[in-house]
Amino acid sequence: MIDHILSILIFFPALAAMLGFIIHKDSIRAYGVAIATIEFALSLWLWFLFDSNVSGMQFMEQLPLVPSFGINYILGVDGISLFIVILASFFTMIGLASLTDTKNIKNMIITLLFLQMTMVGVFVALDAIVFYVFWELSLVPMLYIIGAWGGPLRIYASVKFFLYTFTGSLVMLVGMLFMAYYYYQATGTWSFAILEWYRLILPEAFQLWLFVAFFIGFAIKVPMFPFHTWLPYAHGQAPTIGSVILAAILLKMGTYAFIRFSLPMFPDASVFFMFPIAILAIIMIIYTAMVAYAQEDIKQVVAYSSVSHMGVIILGTFALNVEGITGSIFLMIAHGVVSGALFLLVGVIYDRRHTKMMSEFGGLAHVMPRYATIFGLMLMASVGMPLTINFVGEFLSLLGFYKQSHILTILAGTAIIVGAIYMLTAYKKMFFGNVTNEENRNLPDVSKRELLALIPLAIITVWLGIYPKPILVPINNSVASIVQLMHDKSTTEEAKKRIPNLVKGEDVKTLEKEAH
Amino acid sequence: MMEIGLNHYLVLSTILFAIGLIGVMRRKNLLLLFFATEILLNSVNIAFAAISHYYGDLTGQLFVFFVIAIAASEVAVGLGLLIVWHKRHGNIDLDHMSTMRG
Amino acid sequence: MEIYLYIALFSPLVGSLFAGLFGASPRTKIAGIVPSLLLFTSFLSSTVLLVYILGGGEKVHVEMMTWMAAGDLYIPFGFVVDQVSVTMMMVVTLVSTIVHIYSIGYMDHDKGFNRFFSYLSAFVFSMMILVMSDNFAGLFIGWEGVGLCSWLLIGFWYHKESATWAANEAFIMNRIADLGMLIGIFLVYWSTGTLQYEQAFAAMSGLDKEVLTWIGIFLFIGAMGKSAQFPLHTWLADAMEGPTPVSALIHAATMVTAGVYLVVRANPLYDLIPHVGLFIASLGAFVALFAASMALVNRDMKRIIAYSTLSQLGYMFVAAGLGAYWVALFHLMAHAFFKALLFLGAGNVMHAMHNELDPFKMGGLRKVMKGTFIMMTLASVALAGIYPFAGFFSKDLILEVAFVEQHYIIYSVLLFTAGLTAFYSFRLVALIFHGEERYKIFGIHPHEAYKFMLVAMSPLLLLAIIAGSFKMTYFEMVTAMLPATEYHLHSVVTYWIMTIGTQLFVILAIAFAYKKYANNKVKVPDGTSKIENNLCYKVLSNQYYIPYIYEEYLVKPYRELSSVFWKEVDMKVVDATVDGIAGIIYSSGEKTRVMQSGNLSTMLKWMVTGVIILLSLAVVFGLTARYSGEIKAILSGLGV
Repeated sequence: MIDHILSILIFFPALAAMLGFIIHKDSIRAYGVAIATIEFALSLWLWFLFDSNVSGMQFMEQLPLVPSFGINYILGVDGISLFIVILASFFTMIGLASLTDTKNIKNMIITLLFLQMTMVGVFVALDAIVFYVFWELSLVPMLYIIGAWGGPLRIYASVKFFLYTFTGSLVMLVGMLFMAYYYYQATGTWSFAILEWYRLILPEAFQLWLFVAFFIGFAIKVPMFPFHTWLPYAHGQAPTIGSVILAAILLKMGTYAFIRFSLPMFPDASVFFMFPIAILAIIMIIYTAMVAYAQEDIKQVVAYSSVSHMGVIILGTFALNVEGITGSIFLMIAHGVVSGALFLLVGVIYDRRHTKMMSEFGGLAHVMPRYATIFGLMLMASVGMPLTINFVGEFLSLLGFYKQSHILTILAGTAIIVGAIYMLTAYKKMFFGNVTNEENRNLPDVSKRELLALIPLAIITVWLGIYPKPILVPINNSVASIVQLMHDKSTTEEAKKRIPNLVKGEDVKTLEKEAH
Repeated sequence: MMEIGLNHYLVLSTILFAIGLIGVMRRKNLLLLFFATEILLNSVNIAFAAISHYYGDLTGQLFVFFVIAIAASEVAVGLGLLIVWHKRHGNIDLDHMSTMRG
Repeated sequence: MEIYLYIALFSPLVGSLFAGLFGASPRTKIAGIVPSLLLFTSFLSSTVLLVYILGGGEKVHVEMMTWMAAGDLYIPFGFVVDQVSVTMMMVVTLVSTIVHIYSIGYMDHDKGFNRFFSYLSAFVFSMMILVMSDNFAGLFIGWEGVGLCSWLLIGFWYHKESATWAANEAFIMNRIADLGMLIGIFLVYWSTGTLQYEQAFAAMSGLDKEVLTWIGIFLFIGAMGKSAQFPLHTWLADAMEGPTPVSALIHAATMVTAGVYLVVRANPLYDLIPHVGLFIASLGAFVALFAASMALVNRDMKRIIAYSTLSQLGYMFVAAGLGAYWVALFHLMAHAFFKALLFLGAGNVMHAMHNELDPFKMGGLRKVMKGTFIMMTLASVALAGIYPFAGFFSKDLILEVAFVEQHYIIYSVLLFTAGLTAFYSFRLVALIFHGEERYKIFGIHPHEAYKFMLVAMSPLLLLAIIAGSFKMTYFEMVTAMLPATEYHLHSVVTYWIMTIGTQLFVILAIAFAYKKYANNKVKVPDGTSKIENNLCYKVLSNQYYIPYIYEEYLVKPYRELSSVFWKEVDMKVVDATVDGIAGIIYSSGEKTRVMQSGNLSTMLKWMVTGVIILLSLAVVFGLTARYSGEIKAILSGLGV
């Protein structure tokens, strides 16, 4: 069983989803929660079995699919993907547990379980084609969730979401095919295995083109400025559960893919494009934070704040050193927890009032003190208060990038200012002041079911903020090996300089050899 | 008096093909369209036969027989359909057949 | 000793959590008493540590656990008790214990009683982390933590628009400075490879001067935000919207002095870059004068004291900037005592006057509030720096420092400011406690505060009087860590002239204040008197129009730009481009669907067209391939 734990993690929810069709409507919720809990327990078991001191892939599985073209079913996890997998199963679980009564609840639960399969699949796939299949498959359940349970503009939003990301992924697919072709040219065999691609040293010109092809696919998914406009629509129209999963997990696919594909495969191109991407990231941070400040709808504030935080993640990734990349992966987890929680919180108030306009509220701290407290905690996490989960990631990301550029880091650091501006303003509008709207006077505080989802998130937010070590260590080890790989593979002077060499004293040795 | 060679047959075939093509494009009557198709097929048959003769290879002429056989069956089926259509709609005008509009 | 360290550090946290448990329940006394007791425990532990350090003990250093570790970065939760931090611990725990006890009375009738104590203790915990941490990252935790608690406490009465606005302003303005701090921390890490104070400062002596200068500047930007130095000063006066005990604890005694603490803590750094130090000192002197001038005409009791705090922070920065770190720390301590006392006294007056803040509407209160009157008067005397009160020893020392270091401009600014300080302090005292009982017009019946509140304040009173006598003990202790420069004038005559001159100047200022405001002629100003229409008065009472400028030229443009970014750029450019591309594809499909008319003859025509195009392409490409050599020759002949 241990040998195939990753396959089980992927296909168990999918099989359960199919069985879900024959389950009676009344017991489907219990069924869904049970499945998701088992899945979460499995992913925790995976963590338990995971050896933190190993930097490479673990629990590898391999099964030939199309051997003549080198397409294999290869799975594996390392410190980079492990926690996102756990996060995905965790969010599916609490998402299902806190699911409010919706129409067609059976379809919703089946869709979510199917979505879980694709999410886990993306993060553990080590073959480009398998990765691509899960990557595209993940669009379908999301499209369905937005299109079937969304707001008034749901068709427009879902089609936009689907087509936009799909277009990007097609460009990425072309890149993958070319990469495989190049591999064939260089070695004489076809292979789509990512780990084998890692070993290939590409000429810089090819790297640049391939980097761009992959970049378009990933950047739209992240979403990076100026490809971000599908996100506000998707979030604005999606039901709460959709937004939660989208923000917490699906967006991370893009940033994860940067670390899994772009950096180790194209180190020279990564260095070449570091500054342009950093500038895009800074625009993302400041510009979307300002746009978030102008919003009138609380959910849009959270949606744009997501984009803003993703900017910091991108920046950390392109710091190209261990501190920065570790920080950005940690921030992926952190942002997943915090933005997921914020979307859940927005959902709480939406269920009560069926509006998300901030002008409708005011003085909620009087009426719903517990809600205000949890919201306040998540708000503080979102603005990067130390001892909350977000700070660790943001601090490390910015610290890492500071090595590459001072000025750009100062600009990016304004994230902590502009973030505070829009978040505090939104909080003030909703929670402070007197209750002005009579409809708000008798709103019930958060219910037990909602607390079921929010309390664990609050605990994680603080716990990992104070003691991030159990997560940082495995991430750090895997990142170190990737950074070393990049340093060794890089061919240009600039890249050798920008990407640190972690093996101390190696330069001296090679010099000595040359002397002999 | 010059020898009638391969080129003459090919030119004849091309001319016939062109006539057939124009017929296909211009005619609005389904029956005439069939005629035009027959001309197209026969222009190809001429070319086949001529080239077959030129190379002394019988394969080409064999193909001609195939084409004639298939053309015959095609016309048989086609005419059958055409009669049914005429019974249903009272005309065989092409402009009235546009249910496959995109 | 480590156990005392942990007790001192964590009892406020326990208190905060305890009070937090009652957050949702109605007001209970226990939620106030238990945190106060725990804080008292913390105070006792700090005292034990102080005695230990005074007795020449080694500094106590513990490493609790790892916080962050990635790459070469290693940040533990490490705490250190040394001469500097123990001073701060004493100040923090003492003042906060008193403020806690005082608040039990002050917040007696407030609905959010339990919540208040939870926040207040959380603040003390953050402040303890700030002063006890042994590395920059830990300092930053405390730094942000006190910012958070300050936000919670300024906006404590969250139903008030002005309070929440002030809270957000304070938080955001502090964040601007925190960015500087953060950058400073990054710079320290990448240039020294560590964030531990000891190793980092040790490594700094070998660094480039330019890097050090930048580190110094960025760290000081952080300090400017917390200590409300110009131009980030506006939040401090607005922060007076919070409950008065909060002002006493956070915005007078502890949090705002964090900036001074940082500069003192980083003394090995600032010793290496005296030019940055000089800048700090100049800015300090400027702020001292600038804030004092605004206090002269203000008509809000708490704001006057807030400006006075700002002014005194300026003094501390002068000392710290000129390298007299121990003097800065000494003044910080003395100031904490008398300023907290002043604020708590103001709290009593506010209670008595039903939250009236305009001193012109008071007057003659000394008859009904004897205790408060004595305390506030003595605190003002201490603030003015009259012998033998605390202010004399600490503040006049800063003047001496400036004189000895031969920065005569700074010296004269500070001297002049000392006069202003005395004037506005006693203007306040005179307006509140002397003269006609103007409050009667407004139908208010003032009463003295609870006895235990006055008792709670008395240790502060005692310290405000006698703190100066600790000077030498203190000097010996703290100079084990800080540069031990004694500032003595060479000539005894100059020394006496200066001291007596300063004293006379200050006393004159006090006398003038009394003469002007302690009589029965003072009326409630109605905006018609000559002085109120004076340009100078207008500029000062509008705080040099700085809040107005910020609002008009920073806040509003930011808001408008945000709106433009959203409605114009994001919706009409970025999103419209995407929709436009989709639209082009869609409309091209719309156009070409005509081809698919379903008409057999049209479709046949299209088919023929297609075949012809393909055929001709095949021919063209075939020919080009065949004659490529010739084509190239012709093209090269044409010079292409």
